[in-house]
Amino acid sequence: MKDSMRKAYLASVTDRFVKGQMDRRSFLRAAGKLGLGAGALGMGLGARPFWTMSQAQAQDQELKPNADVMKWLADVGKPFAGTTLKLATESTPPSNAIATQLKQYFEEASGIKIEIEVLPLEQVLQKLTLDVASSLGTYDLYYIDQSWAANFSQDVFDPREQLKNADLAMPNYNIDDFLKPLVDGIAMYKDTMVGVPYDIPIFIMQYRKDIWDELKLPAPTTMEDLLNASKAITDAKGPNVYGTSGQMKSGHYSLECDWTAWLWGHGGSIFDKDGKFCGNDERGLEAMAYWDKLKATMPPGVNGWTWDGEGQSVAQGVAASMLSWGEFFPFFDDPKASKVSGLMEAIVPPKPTTTLRTVQETAFGEIPGVGHQGGSSLAVSKYSKAPDAAWIFMQWATSADTQALITVLGGGTGPTRKSVYDDPRVKANARVGAGTTRHLPVVRETIANYMGSEPDLPAWAEISSDTIPVALGKYFAGQLGSAKETMDALKSQVDEIVAKG
Amino acid sequence: MNASVASRTLRTLAAWVVVGLFFFPIYYWTSVAFKYGNDIFSRPPNLFHFTPTFDNFQKVFGISLGSGGVTVTPGGGNFFMAPRLWDSIVVATLSTLVAIVIATLAAYALSRMNFRGRHQFVNWVLSTRMMPPVAVAVPMFFIYKGFGLLDTFTGMVLIHALMNLPLAVLLMKSFFDDIPAEIDESAIVDGASRFTIFRRIVLPMAKGGIAATAVLCFIFSWTEFLFALTLTTTGLKTVPVVSSTFVTSIGTAWGNMAALGAASIIPAFIFILLVQKHLVRGLTMGSLKQ
Amino acid sequence: MTVAQVRRMSVSDSPIPWLLPLVALLLVFTVYPLIYNIWLSFHEYVPRRRALEYVGLSNWTQLWEDARFWQSLTITFVYFAVALAIELALGMAIALLLDSDGFGFGFLRGLLTMTLVIPPAIAGMMYLLMEDPQFGVISYFLQWTGLLDPAHPILATASTALAGVLLPEIWQWTPFMVLIFLAGLRALPPEPYEAAMIDGASQWQIFRRITLPMMSKVIAIAVLIRGIDLFRVFDYVFVMTSGGPGTSTYTLSLYAWQQTFSFVKWGYGATLSLVTLAIILVVASLFIKIAKVRW
Repeated sequence: MKDSMRKAYLASVTDRFVKGQMDRRSFLRAAGKLGLGAGALGMGLGARPFWTMSQAQAQDQELKPNADVMKWLADVGKPFAGTTLKLATESTPPSNAIATQLKQYFEEASGIKIEIEVLPLEQVLQKLTLDVASSLGTYDLYYIDQSWAANFSQDVFDPREQLKNADLAMPNYNIDDFLKPLVDGIAMYKDTMVGVPYDIPIFIMQYRKDIWDELKLPAPTTMEDLLNASKAITDAKGPNVYGTSGQMKSGHYSLECDWTAWLWGHGGSIFDKDGKFCGNDERGLEAMAYWDKLKATMPPGVNGWTWDGEGQSVAQGVAASMLSWGEFFPFFDDPKASKVSGLMEAIVPPKPTTTLRTVQETAFGEIPGVGHQGGSSLAVSKYSKAPDAAWIFMQWATSADTQALITVLGGGTGPTRKSVYDDPRVKANARVGAGTTRHLPVVRETIANYMGSEPDLPAWAEISSDTIPVALGKYFAGQLGSAKETMDALKSQVDEIVAKG
Repeated sequence: MNASVASRTLRTLAAWVVVGLFFFPIYYWTSVAFKYGNDIFSRPPNLFHFTPTFDNFQKVFGISLGSGGVTVTPGGGNFFMAPRLWDSIVVATLSTLVAIVIATLAAYALSRMNFRGRHQFVNWVLSTRMMPPVAVAVPMFFIYKGFGLLDTFTGMVLIHALMNLPLAVLLMKSFFDDIPAEIDESAIVDGASRFTIFRRIVLPMAKGGIAATAVLCFIFSWTEFLFALTLTTTGLKTVPVVSSTFVTSIGTAWGNMAALGAASIIPAFIFILLVQKHLVRGLTMGSLKQ
Repeated sequence: MTVAQVRRMSVSDSPIPWLLPLVALLLVFTVYPLIYNIWLSFHEYVPRRRALEYVGLSNWTQLWEDARFWQSLTITFVYFAVALAIELALGMAIALLLDSDGFGFGFLRGLLTMTLVIPPAIAGMMYLLMEDPQFGVISYFLQWTGLLDPAHPILATASTALAGVLLPEIWQWTPFMVLIFLAGLRALPPEPYEAAMIDGASQWQIFRRITLPMMSKVIAIAVLIRGIDLFRVFDYVFVMTSGGPGTSTYTLSLYAWQQTFSFVKWGYGATLSLVTLAIILVVASLFIKIAKVRW
């Protein structure tokens, strides 16, 4: 048996075993035929879940880019063969899927080489800022987080303009396929389109179905349900299991993300229609009161965690739920890294307590909604020395076919195109296991109906990643007095920065 | 006699306990490199009873432990760090070399030649180490951009050598100070040139001191973070910088990071062992005399 | 140039050719950045125009009113003083302990240096995991002994966060002190000790009266080298707390980094760095004077 066939067979056998369609004995027999003893499988060591290769890898064999796309790349890429493109990006599932598995196809077909520098989010910002300030053109493509759109709007090409060049346009690229709320929330700054939506982590409600069933709790569909359920779980099972979790590390952007979800969920907003901070109004304070109560049910230490610790607390069964990034859901289903594989359920974020503020009642394009989005766009830098080649890559990376592959190979990250949610390859992966896509219908619905989006203004990077999370961090560390005092202090700081900016 | 045996035993015991405490985090970190995610995050922390895995090393270095023994594959992907380890070794070795050459030359002159303002000159050299790296990073970025040194080995070697120069000069000077100046003087009388004396007589005598200085330079280059972060993109990257690659938007790949961390101890440690014989003597001789 | 001329030049006692490479490198790579930073502190980057603009003294006046600056200055001083004191005392104690030719001591000395080769950025991550309130081994141990209340995680509590950051600092750099002190101890002449033994002096008296005075210069150098680096501490706080909770672990270097890179306030960042440099310069010069360090 050829090695690749052996692997594919093993994967299918494993899949059946994990799904419970096969008993342990026949599974071991089948695996034994493949030359693997129980020891090698780790089976002799108790109930350790066996997972030699993840689902995503197992399907490598069948998942190949569309032939038409490859042919287009070969044709259009010819004049640019030998060009090297650079991209700095956060280490996100799509970027990892491209860097590890997909870029080879692109390079082979087009002859264009692509180098991807993977960094934590704040270091991406640092690199892009230096690149822009020096007009150096080190990077041909920019990965732009939604909170930076304003800062880089004048440094990148508007994709709608680029599409007008018929020689380079990808057939059926269909820019209208991108979900409208994402285009507005991530890419649009005033009338400029700052690249196209590239990835979309968004807050969805993820909770332990087993625990909820055991304690006979109603699903957390409202703010009140979430608080009550979380309290009930912490009372019943703490300190081993807590009701919910959070990303509340002082001075870190993640704390601001959590805050906005509760703020918007109580009908508040960051800015009022005059562009003044209004987190200290009545609704804002209600949100803080709610958050305080909810925090009391979270594991101690939650104010030291970013999304990293929050996700880990759920994966290890320390917390029973989280209203947070949907990207984590496939990770929870991975039995090798998580103890809650198959136990999690995803639903849309809890309903707000009152009507949301409208975009007209806020400023700077802030969109209130409990489903906080943290998407990013991909754009070609104006300082690039090979903007045409970069544009080819960008179209390929954000095309429907590539996105479908990213979604499956990259571990169930949320696509930004409508058509990808309906792609059969994506739907086929909607089963329990690493890289699942079974939460994607919820992601799609959240984007369509419950999405919240941060304001876009040049000073926003500073306000969101420093001013707000530092003040909130002080509040939770008991250094700033009451919620009202904290919010009032925050108001004067934010208004001052906005006025200067 | 009994009392002295007892106290010696006590001392040995204390030494092992203290060093054991310092070694514990390294053991713990190395154990993380051999764990699956679930074992890394078990509660209470799991120190000894876990199922070891080679997965992390496979991903980071392409080394796998299959039925056919240890195999090394070319690897690929974001987490493949073998080339980055090599980058680190090259940068640390070459920058140490450059720093040592320049520093020994200068330190010899500072040790042997009397000139006005020598004390101030040494203070000035030391003061160049006082600048916060953050402040150096931005202007360096522009200088490097101008000279085309961004993202090159030359650039990294230079900045790391430079960063180590003040310390290397100070240390080397103290080592030279310990070698009696009479040796030089008698050689001069014999008609030897300064450079000959330096190369043939003083340098061999200061071998241990050079080794000690080299170890420190190597370590500082090996562990440097901010310059490596700011002045490189994709051409080369050192271990401290790529370690943050494992901090992803869906959590930190602790096992992989630990595999890189554990492996990164080895080259630096080998380097220390190589020069250890000289190191002990060298640091001893450079006792910064009264 | 004839051979004779070369010969005469090299025989001559001019230090210039010896120092030239050093001075050239230092001029280009440290004097230029210094001048650039001074220039920068009178300018500010204006993102809208993608350019630096002259702002006069405003960066310097801002410094006076900036509560964050004063706070980070205090924290830097505390960090510096606590770390230096502990590393010195602990380093000396361990050096005395390990200064033996007994079996296994060479191995132990080698083992101890292993902490030095781990990049601080990685060591910070390592301790971040070990101090995690739910999954960390250090937290678990402290909670088990009752020293730590589970409700107050080390890094998320204002009063303990700095201690949490100091932990990797001290773990990593105490062995550095040990290394330097060991070298000093091993070079001490045996005669004074023999005399003291005959006089029947106690261990403590020997240490106070003989070891400490003879080691004074080694200690001074160690204080100087480590002190300068401590004042510029960045990696640990950057990785572990980002300055939090609130601002309780914000150091000057972190603040300058953030102003420079996160908020693109190059002018203000440069001002902060210059102040840091000035403080280190003054303190170090005073120390060199008082401790009578002669090069």
